[in-house]
Amino acid sequence: MALDMAKYRRIFLEEATDHLGEISRALLDLEKEMGSVEAIDTIFRMAHSIKSMAASLGYDPVSDLAHRLEDRMEGVRASGRVRHPEELSLLFRGLETLEAMVQAVANEEALVPADAGLLAELAATSGEDGPTLEDDSAAAPAAAVSLEAVGGEPKKVRS
Amino acid sequence: MARVLIADDASFMRQMIREIIEPEGHEVVGEATNGIEAVDLYKELQPDLVTMDIVMPKRSGIDAVKTILADQPTACIVMCSALGQETLVMEALQAGARDFIVKPFKPDSVIATLKKILEKAD
Repeated sequence: MALDMAKYRRIFLEEATDHLGEISRALLDLEKEMGSVEAIDTIFRMAHSIKSMAASLGYDPVSDLAHRLEDRMEGVRASGRVRHPEELSLLFRGLETLEAMVQAVANEEALVPADAGLLAELAATSGEDGPTLEDDSAAAPAAAVSLEAVGGEPKKVRS
Repeated sequence: MARVLIADDASFMRQMIREIIEPEGHEVVGEATNGIEAVDLYKELQPDLVTMDIVMPKRSGIDAVKTILADQPTACIVMCSALGQETLVMEALQAGARDFIVKPFKPDSVIATLKKILEKAD
């Protein structure tokens, strides 16, 4: 069976725009409080949702970037906080790139993959004062209770 | 044909599941946008089958599965997962979820999975 993808493109644009607004607000909250559980969880869920919607429509550059952002936020959740100002700056850059991509979808322009440097930074180790993404397997069990309490995921395996 | 409850915080995904399963004769009796609603609507509507997203606000899909099954062990729940959630899918299956479907949804695969589960439940 075939789905009406034009309809889902419209829904994607509406929901992704809302989600990006929520990410933006949550990042501003994190500027004030780098350990805001609610803000961290919101960014994780919104990135996850954008990833799945974009993948359903074949918007691979959007899905790939949202996936990296989601993974990065998983590391932040395991640490319980944004670990340093540079990490917050990186998250803002991820948001800005996602916004540009969604705008490209709205304008029916060709999607260009995110800058390789940005993707690499999102995937890279996260700094001195918190566990790295590679350390998440060790950090997750300790974080599982608090993550479940906010309706999130205790642990996720990178695909 | 089955009475189905769809639990997903994304309207996009709820509509997509609805559009896939309704032509097969299934009736969508409710839509939940978070884990708390999923549990409440399950109790209220007593659907034949639930499609349950894993990542939802307020209460995760995994937690909702455990709560529903603690109360009604025969509940028929299918998890909706994304790539990279293998560990969580395993946790849900161990908790009693019947199967899982992976985003992005492939209509034929979704239909086949639901058919298989409903036949087993009969």
